Amino acid sequence: MGNSLFVSALKSRSPRVRASLCVMGLGQLLSRQWVKGLAYLSALAAFVAYMALTGARDIVGFFTLGTVEADPWLGVAGDDSIIMLLRGLLCYVIILAVVALYRSNLRDIMEIEHNGAWGGNAPGFISSVKGYMDRKFYIVALALPVAGVLVFNVIPIVFMILISFTNYGGDIVPPKLVDWTGFDSFRRVLSLSGIKETFFRILGWNVVWALLSTAINYFGGLALALLLNKKCVKRKKFWRMFPILAYAVPGFITLLAFKFLFSYGGPINHYITEAGHSAVGFLDIDAGIKARIIGLGVNAWISIPTSMLLATGILSNMNMNLYEAASIDGAGPWQQFKKITLPFVVFSTTPVLITNFIGNFNNFGIFYFLRGGLYMDGYFLASDTDLLINWLYNLSIDNNYYSIGAAVSLIIFIITSAVSLSVYIRSNAYRKEDTFR
Amino acid sequence: MRRKAAFIVLAIVLALLLTACGGAKNKAGGGAGEGGFQGDPANPVVLHILENDTAKAEGYLQALLDAFNEAYKDKGIQAVDANMDEYTDLAMNGPYGYGPDVLYQANDQLMRYAEDRHILPIEAEKLDCYASTPESAWDAFKMNFDGTVYTMGVPVNIQEPMLFYREDMMPEDWQTKWDKDGSGIADFFENWCDLYAYSKELHDADPNKYGFMVSMNNLYLASPFMLSHGNYIFGEKDGVLDDTDIGFSKGDAVSGLWALRQFAGQMNEGCIDDTVTLNRYEKLADGSYFCAVSTPDTYSLFLNNLTNRYKQDGLSEEEAKEKAVENLKMVEVPARMPKSGDLGQDSSSMTDDDWTETVVMGGVNGYGISSYTKYRDACVEFVNFATSYDMLKLRADTLGIAPTRSDVAAQCGDTADIIFKSLEMGRIYLMPSIKAVDQIWVPCQTVMGDVAKDPFREKQGEAPKYPGKTELQAALESIDRNIYDAIHTLAG
Repeated sequence: MGNSLFVSALKSRSPRVRASLCVMGLGQLLSRQWVKGLAYLSALAAFVAYMALTGARDIVGFFTLGTVEADPWLGVAGDDSIIMLLRGLLCYVIILAVVALYRSNLRDIMEIEHNGAWGGNAPGFISSVKGYMDRKFYIVALALPVAGVLVFNVIPIVFMILISFTNYGGDIVPPKLVDWTGFDSFRRVLSLSGIKETFFRILGWNVVWALLSTAINYFGGLALALLLNKKCVKRKKFWRMFPILAYAVPGFITLLAFKFLFSYGGPINHYITEAGHSAVGFLDIDAGIKARIIGLGVNAWISIPTSMLLATGILSNMNMNLYEAASIDGAGPWQQFKKITLPFVVFSTTPVLITNFIGNFNNFGIFYFLRGGLYMDGYFLASDTDLLINWLYNLSIDNNYYSIGAAVSLIIFIITSAVSLSVYIRSNAYRKEDTFR
Repeated sequence: MRRKAAFIVLAIVLALLLTACGGAKNKAGGGAGEGGFQGDPANPVVLHILENDTAKAEGYLQALLDAFNEAYKDKGIQAVDANMDEYTDLAMNGPYGYGPDVLYQANDQLMRYAEDRHILPIEAEKLDCYASTPESAWDAFKMNFDGTVYTMGVPVNIQEPMLFYREDMMPEDWQTKWDKDGSGIADFFENWCDLYAYSKELHDADPNKYGFMVSMNNLYLASPFMLSHGNYIFGEKDGVLDDTDIGFSKGDAVSGLWALRQFAGQMNEGCIDDTVTLNRYEKLADGSYFCAVSTPDTYSLFLNNLTNRYKQDGLSEEEAKEKAVENLKMVEVPARMPKSGDLGQDSSSMTDDDWTETVVMGGVNGYGISSYTKYRDACVEFVNFATSYDMLKLRADTLGIAPTRSDVAAQCGDTADIIFKSLEMGRIYLMPSIKAVDQIWVPCQTVMGDVAKDPFREKQGEAPKYPGKTELQAALESIDRNIYDAIHTLAG
């Protein structure tokens, strides 16, 4: 599309189109579209000035990541590789923005030419803007959110991706200069003995954890919501308050409380020893499956209230006639649940389910607070309950291997986005969007 | 070549700085604190001072700032609280113009900054505190850059794990039964075999009571078991700490770990994780523990718990506090550890050759000057003032720290003096002053906790994981390997 626009402009014999092709906004000025022409021209002038003053240097800096190492003792400011990388990235974003503006300039002048509105008959600037807003309202409305997503989501993700291709971390932190190292970080994660095994071992547990915890939390919340929806349950509001209270307590406080609960000096072991048995290491190095089950339970304690609230809201929209009809047809409670309740709730909550899966896949807090500070045999700087996100933290924050951490992040990102997109695209919520409307 | 040139320039800059300070000293006839900096009193330079939270909370920082500002008002220097988190990251903030001018930190933290030159070298010999501070304390702040040794910080106080105990839980007949050498000090405070024996005696008499208690997975607090048998954290190469030479498994380290395993058997399962660290104040107060390890700055926590206990028993606030002060004692951990690691030996039959000196892990806190300060000479003036006799005495009195200045330590009572002497005698293994020290904690914590669990595995009828020294040696080697991996494997 962009190419065809450019080719059309090149083929055009109109001097105004050729003028805009060479200098953004010039054709508009020749068409007596003063405000628009000046706006395009000013944008071009600002871009040229930016490139001359700093942009060109930022592009070069993006490739070199600095040549002069800072020396605070000698007062040598030196180059800051990370800032240079960021500035280079910003420069590319600005270049992309100017290319987009340049295309709009070409499209605009072609339209003027096509409408024969170049002889002073063209609509004024304000009416042009009004017309554009009317025709392309969706673009105008979405411009700000898209810009926000670009600045606060896309650029940090791209930055993280770029970091994974450098040697940033370990001893290479400012003022030392960072270098591009290609796929070296990925190679080290996936090939170094010990690291490779740890990665796949943790990945396996991570997938099991994400599936189990999502299922437990989801069906636990649904079960609780159904239970509290039953007519026979008295004082529903009162009973609903308890899970909400559990939800209202900050997560890390709950986790520390559970850690204490299961520690050797905690109340559970107190009662076990009082009963004449030996204390149990619920979370110590030998805990193994016990620690994993406790993790799932604690996560359920924290997450089920959210699922319960969600399910309660959805259940309140259920058409009760369906149940009545099902009862007349002889369907029992289990069949009603399987054929009516579950499809309806799953249909409405598929996107939430995917979000929960990703949230659980990247659930940092549970095992960091419950069982942090263990490196186990057979694992590289990790324990048997650590998830990839915990391992990532051990590597990148505790041990300052930022590039390795970024590489692991990118792998996590690829896995979670692939899973969530494929599940979502195959789900009824996506394929049969109108079914339950 | 470029590095060499940089260091030549650096040497010239330092020489100039030295000359400038020297001139000031000659003129004023005093230390670096006099004559080094002269600003405009009407428009003073402002120094941002980062102190620890305790110094702020106890009012010491304010007293220091007030005293300094009064003394230097004619020299155009004003010091203010940097108002930052005590663990603020100079490496992240300094290069961008934020961060303090002078910062108070532990030696390992300060020297992390030093490695990347975020703090400035200091001419230690020009400071008033130089002569009265032991060489070992200065060593904690020394760094070798390409063959030249620089002092990067100024020592203020020393820390080491201490033993807190209840005097009323000492055996009544300790002078006849537990003072075999007639030193006037109970044997269980002099050697680990007797501490083990007395702990066993207490626990056998009442299963709810324990003698010596510590979280065995805590490298700092349980360091006597990890550092007393000729092992080390990082070796040295050409006078520089070598982070490729990790020595937890070296020497006869396995005997220390054997002693740890043995002593854990006289404790409860709380020694496997941080339970003892959390409940030691309460359990010492209620008489469940005879003694526990902690740092000197936690004295008030032990005291408050014991006071509360006495108040619950019906004493008035004043009586309870008085009784608690009388009963709560703080001493160093026993100085002698059996070489073989067998704590079950009868100390009376052991000769001097059977013992090795206990080594504990410790740290030196001190001042450093940010490389990003605009007023380095003024900062030197401040550091000199803050480490003067009067200010360190005030600091010790206010905060209960053990000062590194010998003249102040001698005036501060037994504890400060004892810690100071231990430092001089090499009984305190100072935390290595390199970044790599960050990587030692988790591998040690994992293995120490696992070894401490072994006696409890046996009690439950399970097979022990570490039945002999061969298995313990393998565990120590895994510590070294994990630390090495954390530092080097991914370093590229």
